[in-house]
Amino acid sequence: MTRWAMVADLRRCVGCQTCTASCKHANATPPDVQWRRVLDLEVGEYPAVKRAFVPVGCMHCDDPPCMAVCPSTATRKRPDGIVTIDYDLCIGCSYCAVACPYQARYKTDLATFAYGKATAAEEKRFDPKRLAVATKCTFCVDRIDAGMAKGLKPGVDPEATPACVNACITQTMSFGDIEDPHSNVSQLLAENQFFRMHEELGTGPRFYYIWDKKEAEA
Amino acid sequence: MSFGPKPWHQTSWDFRAAFNFIFGGAGAGLLVIAAFSGLGGNSLRAEMLFAMALIGAGLVSVWFPIGRPLRAMNVGFNPFTSWMTRESFAAGAVFVLGLAAVWFGSTPLAQATAVAALVFAYCQGRILQAAKGIPAWRVPALGWLNFITALTEGAGLFVALSAVFGSPAKSVLAYFSLALIARGLAWSTYRGSIAKSAARPALTVLDRAGKVLVQFGTIAPLVLLLLGMLAADLSRIALPLAGIAALATGWQFKFMLITRAAYNQGFALPHLPVRGTR
Amino acid sequence: MNAPEHPYAVMAASGKRATYCYQCVAGPDLLKVSVTDGVATEVEPNFGACDIHPGGGKVCVKAYGLVQKTYNPNRVLTPMRRTNPKKGRNEEPGFVPISWEEALETIAAKLRAIRETGLRDASGYPRVAANFGGGGTPQSYMGTFPAFLAAWGPIDMGFGSGQGVKCYHSEHLYGELWHRAFTVSPDTPMCNYLISCGANVEASGGVVGVWRHANARERGMKRVQVEPHLSVTGACSAEWVPIRPKTDAAFLYALLHVLLHETARERLDLDCLTQHTSSPYLVGANGFFLRDKDTKKPLIWDLKRAAAIPFDTPDCDPALEGSYECDAVEIGADAEVVGSGKLEGKTSFGKLVAHMQPYSPEWAAGICDVPAATMRRIANEFLDHAQVGATIEIEGKTLPYRPVAVSLGKTVNNGWGGYECVWARTLLATLVGGLEVPGGTLGTTVRLTRPLAERLHSVKPGPDGFMHYPMNPTDREHWNAHPNIRNAYRSMVPLAADGPWSQALGPTHFTWMFMKETPKGLPTVTLPDVWFVYRSNPAISFWDTKALSESMARFPFVVAFAYTRDETNHMADILLPDATDLESLQLIRIGGSKFIEQFWENEGFALRQPVVEAQGEARDFTDIATELARRTGLLEGYNASINRGAACVPLKGATWDFSLDPTQVHAREDIWDAVCRAASAELSDGKQSHGLDWWKENGLATKPFAHADWYLYPTLISKGLRFEMPYQERLYRIGKELGNRLHENDMQWWDKQLAEYQALPPWKDFPGEWEKSLAVMGGKSKDFPFWLLTARSMQYAWGANVGMQMIKEVADNISGHRGVIMNTGRAEELGVADGDMVEIATPLASVRARAVVRQGIRPDTLLLLGQFDHWATPFAKDFGMPSMNSLVPMTMALTDATGSGSDVVRVSLKRAGGER
Repeated sequence: MTRWAMVADLRRCVGCQTCTASCKHANATPPDVQWRRVLDLEVGEYPAVKRAFVPVGCMHCDDPPCMAVCPSTATRKRPDGIVTIDYDLCIGCSYCAVACPYQARYKTDLATFAYGKATAAEEKRFDPKRLAVATKCTFCVDRIDAGMAKGLKPGVDPEATPACVNACITQTMSFGDIEDPHSNVSQLLAENQFFRMHEELGTGPRFYYIWDKKEAEA
Repeated sequence: MSFGPKPWHQTSWDFRAAFNFIFGGAGAGLLVIAAFSGLGGNSLRAEMLFAMALIGAGLVSVWFPIGRPLRAMNVGFNPFTSWMTRESFAAGAVFVLGLAAVWFGSTPLAQATAVAALVFAYCQGRILQAAKGIPAWRVPALGWLNFITALTEGAGLFVALSAVFGSPAKSVLAYFSLALIARGLAWSTYRGSIAKSAARPALTVLDRAGKVLVQFGTIAPLVLLLLGMLAADLSRIALPLAGIAALATGWQFKFMLITRAAYNQGFALPHLPVRGTR
Repeated sequence: MNAPEHPYAVMAASGKRATYCYQCVAGPDLLKVSVTDGVATEVEPNFGACDIHPGGGKVCVKAYGLVQKTYNPNRVLTPMRRTNPKKGRNEEPGFVPISWEEALETIAAKLRAIRETGLRDASGYPRVAANFGGGGTPQSYMGTFPAFLAAWGPIDMGFGSGQGVKCYHSEHLYGELWHRAFTVSPDTPMCNYLISCGANVEASGGVVGVWRHANARERGMKRVQVEPHLSVTGACSAEWVPIRPKTDAAFLYALLHVLLHETARERLDLDCLTQHTSSPYLVGANGFFLRDKDTKKPLIWDLKRAAAIPFDTPDCDPALEGSYECDAVEIGADAEVVGSGKLEGKTSFGKLVAHMQPYSPEWAAGICDVPAATMRRIANEFLDHAQVGATIEIEGKTLPYRPVAVSLGKTVNNGWGGYECVWARTLLATLVGGLEVPGGTLGTTVRLTRPLAERLHSVKPGPDGFMHYPMNPTDREHWNAHPNIRNAYRSMVPLAADGPWSQALGPTHFTWMFMKETPKGLPTVTLPDVWFVYRSNPAISFWDTKALSESMARFPFVVAFAYTRDETNHMADILLPDATDLESLQLIRIGGSKFIEQFWENEGFALRQPVVEAQGEARDFTDIATELARRTGLLEGYNASINRGAACVPLKGATWDFSLDPTQVHAREDIWDAVCRAASAELSDGKQSHGLDWWKENGLATKPFAHADWYLYPTLISKGLRFEMPYQERLYRIGKELGNRLHENDMQWWDKQLAEYQALPPWKDFPGEWEKSLAVMGGKSKDFPFWLLTARSMQYAWGANVGMQMIKEVADNISGHRGVIMNTGRAEELGVADGDMVEIATPLASVRARAVVRQGIRPDTLLLLGQFDHWATPFAKDFGMPSMNSLVPMTMALTDATGSGSDVVRVSLKRAGGER
């Protein structure tokens, strides 16, 4: 059984926001909607202070709180673990947005564009279905499905891989099938120490953060 | 717009969502006490219509901000896990039963409506509790606090109305008193349960709102009730004041809860990345 | 102008097109753009380039702004003419649309008039001046315009857009002298220990730098970031050392002290020092090398023969330390013999050891506000990691392996103290034999010596066993008393050389300062008759931008190639809309060894093609250049210049000739088709001649570039040359000579700078220079207690992309893009909360910003990222984000000997009210 997961190696991330920008391109999100973005975190007090950059977005949880609360069943989970939103069902109540502990969901009520009026590129890609409904990272599900239909492997072949992973200039982001022990993501998790965001909430996020090598190899 | 990583206030639900909890809770609470207060006839009808109007106002208020109001019926698609769907079903039951009760002037139907209203109030609490993104909401204690304050607000409203038009029954006052005490305790339990999880600015807001809830929403009404019992001539002023205080403080608490204290938990790293060497 | 019919393939309306992004010096990035029905929609990496590009073929965030750049409604899309003759910040220019015909003819008429009256004015300065910003990156967008400039003749390109203050100035000049290192980089793929003083590679190293450092981190490289604030690079480093601003030289001197005075001598690379540096050269009492009386070669003391011998005598055992008496001659400035006969000579190394003796970590601790133990530990870690004696085989060559390096950042390696820092850095590498070897400190590009495209070929024998360096002459006979351009680089800065980039690396602010008052000895600095500006906004990016704008407003005729309105073209007379990145055509060289981390294992060419049709009336730069050449009667010279290689590559090679007919007007496709064919031929030694269509389809082509060619060491050794380290006799000499020339001409105003020409530079109170500057402005240090600094923002640096909404949106995710960063504790003391409006002031000027309260900055330091403060650029003018450029004074006193200043200023800060 396939189970898609994202791995972010925090040792590598520099907060450049290339993934953020590429996501905006790939998914044509309107201004201020960032399905993928990178946080700039500071921990400690001067001079013993550390700063870290943390890519976030929809964690495609095993037990997604957004899906449980969704009154319209617009939010669903595919067998491969990808949490989807049916824009035709969603009523735009934003309950999912307050239920998500990762602040991954957005709702844009009115058509908004970078400079007020839509540019040619924005016109080309504007989708009225996305207005006034919840939106979020889809793991670039269309790329995955289209790529797999062509026999490509998500996480390996760019055409079948989420845009943020393709764009990442530090190899922070990796994507693959966590159920496949030979996949890139399984290998990374086997070799390194990792955590998941707000794991105590029991959501079972499928977004893993590597922070160090395993003790034996360190 | 660019948020985080420190907790920031949710921007999804505003005062209109708060009104659903404010009016819906009070309306449900009013239905409950009205149905079991021994009231009948037009008095009961009036109380019930007023209570349903409150619930309806809450629902209309929350209908406005939803992105796709014309798809509002889709709210009923997920009774299996969504407390919002269940709330909508409960609301439906309240209106069907309530209107029937009013039409037929039936106390049993009114009491059935009250049961639906209890479910409705309970669902509202669970709606908040299921919002895992908001530490100040997601605790079970809030579900109960929300439920109890609904009953308290309803009782307060009933007492105030009764005192204006007559004299509330002792049993009503006893119920009201118990509700006030229960709400004070529920607040205390709730505050304890979020002490560690909620964001500091959320706690600041809640402490302020909680202080009002305790001082003006619990102690003051109880004192006024006592005063009303001890000095009958003061009861015409004391009882409405007690009721309004219970109602208003509950409303202000919920308003603050939704619109001021709803900080998310931001992001946190249990481990910092190792950069090059340990 | 009607382009003739040409036989090239027509673009499909939809598809993916290969192109490049070279918006910053750390490019190019190779990308593909998705086009739907003729509209560009999406940028993605050119995955086909992942094997030849050292950053995995990935694309920087700035490139993702290109789609918005193309369709930005604020673009200037027709030629415009100014209608308000008055110029100034508060004067509305009143631009009105005009035809290309009118615009070009207006410009051409001005140019023809200049050609008739003379290309230079009464002061001898070129009447035409041109400004290109962004570290040379505009050249990757200006098509054949360089051919027009070459055909024109003398042009003043020394106005600058902030060079000197905003670049690694001392590193450029001294680095190129010492190891052909216009830019310096650690050999990141092999380095294991890196001391990074303010180098912000995660913001300025481009995709390759970021990619390599991420790999190095995972590999276990330890990077120590020495910097007053916790930058992105500091964040990604193993250790952050929050040093007091402008004291990095003291920090580095302390490390040198530990290596020279606290560790066993054998731990240094003694073989390298004796054989490949000037360490054994004997220095006489006057500070000049002792020389052989006959050959005038510097002498060394041979322990084998117990005698002084010329440095290049075979079979010798040079003494590294000691004092020796020998029969010699000591020759000072202007060939004056300052000693002859039996002279006492100390080895250069010995003098270095004595020189560094006072600079202990304990001494430095008080200056740098860094514990002595920290500095001592870092010095020892550096030495421990150096693996002195180790070798590695690269492509069959056995080379020293020294996986340690020191990198320096802006404000550390420019302005007062810059010389000391770059000298100390180069010396640290030299002491362990880590200069220009695998794992060590590398130069990665040349810009002042020739040939620019081939760094190793620029190594030619010079005097005293060192590399040749094309210093501007300082001898009496050849010194340039009459500057060729207004910034007088050839007269004042010998190290600036006279290469293609030298004009822009002179003291560019002199041009602006001297327009107000030209100092004694220089011809009166005049306004240019015509000033061309392209991808350059000095009214924002220079220092003292207010005064600069006022000067600019006096220029009689300004032609600005304008993307949108901005603060510089606010003063323009004509605006020309050039086709932007995704709309125009150009071939450039890629790979080899270029800026900072851009050293590749491949080299070749990449095409920038019109991914979409140009918007409005925007016109390809090549077409503009051709038309200007035609209208000014320069067509033949222009075409000849293209044939010689002004458009990327010479069109004629050993076995190929794609030269253009010089007498004809050629369409841009024909020009670039010829360039493409010549490039193909060069890549394949004449076997291939792919034309434009092939390049449009493929985007790029490369051939291998030897990894061993990243390192200068083998070339230097093969030519029998030595690194000019540690003793700077040549600089000392030219400093004296320059002083003589200036004083002969009664020019005393450069004396402070002349003092920088020291063979072994001592520590001076560098921060004190800015405190003195504060006093001149009428302030006291206690009242202006903060050091205001700046840092690059990766999302904006060099990109001229402040008008892109998406860039602003994503950049704002990184702290500091919305205000001034200050220390949390200090903010609490001052009653400032995050988000408060604060006023930052010098005694002369003030700006307002929102406070961004963070732990990761010294309490005495403030940081304003980037350079904003726009007031005319659409979109950016609403940022509400100030720039330190509005506060930094432009003064001679803050100019060092290379002609550079630093981004530092003492300021006060207080709450200014306003919402939180």
